[in-house]
Amino acid sequence: MRVPPGVSESAFAATIAEFERIVGKDWVFTSDDDLNLYRDAYSPYLNEPEELIASAAVAPTTTEEVQAIVRVANRYKVPIYPISTGRNLGYGGAAPAYSGSVVVDLKRMNRILEVNEKLAYALVEPGVSYFDLYNYIQEHKLKVWIDCPDPGWGSPVGNSTDRGGGYTNANYRNHFDAHCGMEVVLPDGELLRTGMGAIPNAKTWQAYKTGCGPWVDGIFSQSNYGVVTKMGFWLMPQPEAYMRCTVRAPRFGDLSELVDTLSYLENARITTGFPDFSSPLLGYPPIGQVQLWNENGPPAMSDEHTKLLAGVDQGYSPELEAYGMKEGIPYWELWLSFYGPMEVIEASWRATQRHYGKIDGVQFRVVDRLNLPIDPKTVEKYHEPELGVPSLRVFSIGARTPWNPTPSHGHMWFSPIIPRTAEAIIEANRVFSAAARDLGMPLFKTFTLPACFWERSFVFILATPVTEDPATNKRYREGFKKLIEIGGQHGWGEYRTAPVFQKTVMDQYSYNNHALQRFHETLKDAIDPNGIMSPGRYAIWPKNLRGVQS
Amino acid sequence: MIRVRRAFGLFAAAAVMSLIVAPAFAQRNAEHYAAGRAVYRKWCAPCHDPGITHPGTHALMTKYKGVKSGVLLEWTDLPAGTVKYMVRHGILLMPPFRKTEITDHELDALARFLSRNTPGGD
Repeated sequence: MRVPPGVSESAFAATIAEFERIVGKDWVFTSDDDLNLYRDAYSPYLNEPEELIASAAVAPTTTEEVQAIVRVANRYKVPIYPISTGRNLGYGGAAPAYSGSVVVDLKRMNRILEVNEKLAYALVEPGVSYFDLYNYIQEHKLKVWIDCPDPGWGSPVGNSTDRGGGYTNANYRNHFDAHCGMEVVLPDGELLRTGMGAIPNAKTWQAYKTGCGPWVDGIFSQSNYGVVTKMGFWLMPQPEAYMRCTVRAPRFGDLSELVDTLSYLENARITTGFPDFSSPLLGYPPIGQVQLWNENGPPAMSDEHTKLLAGVDQGYSPELEAYGMKEGIPYWELWLSFYGPMEVIEASWRATQRHYGKIDGVQFRVVDRLNLPIDPKTVEKYHEPELGVPSLRVFSIGARTPWNPTPSHGHMWFSPIIPRTAEAIIEANRVFSAAARDLGMPLFKTFTLPACFWERSFVFILATPVTEDPATNKRYREGFKKLIEIGGQHGWGEYRTAPVFQKTVMDQYSYNNHALQRFHETLKDAIDPNGIMSPGRYAIWPKNLRGVQS
Repeated sequence: MIRVRRAFGLFAAAAVMSLIVAPAFAQRNAEHYAAGRAVYRKWCAPCHDPGITHPGTHALMTKYKGVKSGVLLEWTDLPAGTVKYMVRHGILLMPPFRKTEITDHELDALARFLSRNTPGGD
């Protein structure tokens, strides 16, 4: 039997016996074969001594069982590590942040407790996946949409507490912002409800976010201060119609106007869907087309075009720009989408065109006009999450296709937040491309465009491959850390990362001698004195491991 | 501790097996496979249903280049043991599945369903 560091074999055996009493023998896992299922399948330390490994796993079905597990963990000082659906591939998977922790696998807590159509909200347990919630809504013919990330097997609770993003309206794309009310088992086993849920017999737990007094929900995301056992989410009322359009701009220098006007249009809620930048001239797809490109190959390009691309420096060459103008290939194409009644959409699109009219040579096109709900048979033509439909098509990234004969074994997402300006895109490309070249990292090899998950910033979401070769993995993960540090030096930080990079990322958030980190530790010591809850998650270590691990 | 993530050898072994095992295709009714089919629909179909919009299928189509189908549902050389191995070990981008997702009992049903056209499969 594996044993957590610092725990005696007898204490651990007693812990396991208690866990078996709580959930039943079938739902406590201690064999190597079973624990291999809790390894991070995309770990950049795969099969190396530093790979993060669990010592056991326990799978409760109720909040009361979670409380009992947490109390046992305190009694025997055994570190535990809760997971929801346990995917989070590219951000650490189901593996604990501290090797030897017992994974508390919440997948069996899979009840959809409520979907309220009138007020458009849901209350779910952590083991519910986006597929589950979507299917429930379809089966009950409820006129609400979920906002999901690309892989639909993820958990609304898990994804939002790791602060993931999605693809519909800005009010819902930020999954943590779209939550309303939590139930949390604290590190001492106490049960807490946040917001209006703190009132016994609450009537508006999922309808009003903050309740009264300090709003503590944020500390239960990207942290180790408790186990979230229920969580509410606001849903988008099913829109009547959808329109997808693009704005094409001919010159490199038009990027600034494209970005700044987008920020106005989106924050004024004139455009209401996921904005998506691409460059037909540089051969760079919008996120919404990536899966189609992986499936069907990138669009054909002339020899002259290919040759000119080789001469591009930092995304620009006057010859390429002139070629684009001559051939009618835009430098930039911004994909916009709109939800709502068609008459409102048409008016919003007219206003959008008026605002972009100041770009010389701008062109507009309507790609699709759809009445909703969409026929499920035709949804494959689209990037499903933009229509509120979960999918797993994103796994075409890095997979074997005719255009990718060397499939990867996984990836780690490099994902720094940068300002929402053209200047920042250009500067980040300059900085990161030079660094990546020096470090031998396969990122920023060509001019790279960020994503618009959040309405006042950009984020790059770049897959760094995991291979079968430990030497390559070592180079990539060391380069990954270096890129994080270089980003930090420029005032940019990751929005989310895997446990193996969490210390490097959090070290960048160092204002005033790491005041934020020190505050996290003060909180940790106060609410988890035994240090049993997810030690090390987001580089928050309990007192007994601080300095040893960090 | 070393997890072997490449198991193409198993597929090769399966192909050989299909030559030497008498073609004893199990004739079972749909009900016999209902549980396995349900597991397939929930956990496998998003990546393995027919068509290149399913990345598992596209990967297998690319790998086998028309020598055999990329659609698992059509395979006639997929022993139950291979299904179980793949689900619990994963391969390339496909991660393993935990017992809280697919129980051993459900995995047995899935393996029976996916090996239903394989001689000696079920």
